[in-house]
Amino acid sequence: MSIAADTRPTLRLSSPTATRELYLFIAILIVGAGFSFASPYFLTPINLIQTLRAALELAIVSAGMTLVIIMGGIDVSVGGILAVTAIVIGKSYQAGLSSFIVAPIGLTTGTLLGMWNGFLTTKLKVPPIIATLGSMYIFSAIMFIVIGGAWISGLPGTLSPLVNGTVLIIPASALVILVVYTACWVLLRKVPYGRHVYAIGCNETSAKLVGINVGRTKIATYALLGFLAGFAALLYVARLRNVEINIGTTVALEAIAATILGGTSIRGGVGSLLGTLLGVIFIRIIQNGLVLIGVSSLWETVIIGSLLIVVLTADALRNRNSPRV
Amino acid sequence: MVFKLSGIVKRFGGLVALDHVDFHVADSEVMALVGDNGAGKSTLIKTMSGAHFPDEGEITMLGKVMHFRSPQDAWQNGIATIYQELALAGKMTVVDNIFLGREIKRPRLGIPFLDLPAMRKRTEELLKQLDVHVPSIDSWVESMSGGQRQGVAIARALNMDARMIIMDEPTAALAVAEVRKVLDFVIRLREQGKSVVLISHNIQDVFEVSDRISVMRHGRCIAVRETRRTTPQEIIGLITGAHEVRAAS
Repeated sequence: MSIAADTRPTLRLSSPTATRELYLFIAILIVGAGFSFASPYFLTPINLIQTLRAALELAIVSAGMTLVIIMGGIDVSVGGILAVTAIVIGKSYQAGLSSFIVAPIGLTTGTLLGMWNGFLTTKLKVPPIIATLGSMYIFSAIMFIVIGGAWISGLPGTLSPLVNGTVLIIPASALVILVVYTACWVLLRKVPYGRHVYAIGCNETSAKLVGINVGRTKIATYALLGFLAGFAALLYVARLRNVEINIGTTVALEAIAATILGGTSIRGGVGSLLGTLLGVIFIRIIQNGLVLIGVSSLWETVIIGSLLIVVLTADALRNRNSPRV
Repeated sequence: MVFKLSGIVKRFGGLVALDHVDFHVADSEVMALVGDNGAGKSTLIKTMSGAHFPDEGEITMLGKVMHFRSPQDAWQNGIATIYQELALAGKMTVVDNIFLGREIKRPRLGIPFLDLPAMRKRTEELLKQLDVHVPSIDSWVESMSGGQRQGVAIARALNMDARMIIMDEPTAALAVAEVRKVLDFVIRLREQGKSVVLISHNIQDVFEVSDRISVMRHGRCIAVRETRRTTPQEIIGLITGAHEVRAAS
């Protein structure tokens, strides 16, 4: 038997996500070339670094969203987690606490809110989209009750080097993204936990049968997304030094869009972090480029919405003949 | 006696699905379970595999009384059930499926990293043991034929150290050449000292691999025959109840 050799192609272009990643990469190049042609400001270091900073929070949240969607779940409340955590962070700063205390508080708050979602979907068996929709309403209500329509402003920017700084010539935000994605990649591909996430997304019955603790894995994954949303909230506060009333309103849908564009299957079981990162870059480049060439930002949502429909339709057509196992 | 059911009763409301069923399987034995639709075969294997809890009766394994609370519980006690729908994760590789839930780890810096080379090596050994041929151990299970998937599912059961393997209609919906292959898996399992319970509608398959045959009818185990000392005609007669008609006349 000749199965001894590692028969995997290095790029794994045979896998559907690798193909998607390649297409997405080409799309980014084409769109980027188009924008450079249309605007002299697009392909400048300052603009690209600004775009990267604007992508930071979305990129971090999307990494967690990818794991949740691969697991066959979804979390539409992640914007609410980000908002509530940002308020907790803002209030803690206002109470005079130092960043060394505020940062753990923020990360813990996000994690706990994520665990709450995991608890709803596993223990109370509420379908994830409904459970997290309910959470979203609760979280935004909390936000309005606490800050009552006003901004929390004048916060310290102690952590802002993580967003605005540079290490040698590399922007710190790029390094933060790199660290987050590497850590998530290790979790997803290099330790048993990731295999369990894929297995739950593929076939939950099978996962249970072989003794995987499905409930615990699910709660841990929602908690991880909450943790990352908490981290994003810390960076948000560091970047803007205030908490606005519209914080986090778009991040959940953008993160889901980036994940799906990146090749992760909405039905679970298939997906990759690299695809998601490319999806985030694609969304942010379109937004940035449209602003530069003076097109209303409304069109950006139309473009991303249409692309999602095209991508999901193409997937549905391709999968029409293959049974769901 | 490795596995024994005695006096098992299972009721669903007013319906008695299993009526004092006795059933036992020895080491290195292939026990076939046959019967018409609705005879109680499925209920019986669900009771064996932990999916149903019997209303009366006792399950013993190696002389110890067992109370399976769930299929997982039965799995962990060495009873692997390979269902028709197979319960494999389709969009995962052969290696991933075989080691799902019991990955080999090589911790570094306290992080339980997967030991992929070790898992690949063991996968090859298991597949060789069963003589399963797959295109690649890194391809998705979904892309494989029914027989290959049966092979992967059985390899996983072996890796879980299963003592008894229950196979529910393993040859249904398979191509002719694949049926041969799956029957070979059954024979190899017996060679390795495992007990096999084979549920099948195909009398020919049953006669080819089984040591004994249990016949179920109307929720009771009406006969156990040694395969060598019986004929397909007798078994079919028992399944359909022809012997009752003869006895009555």
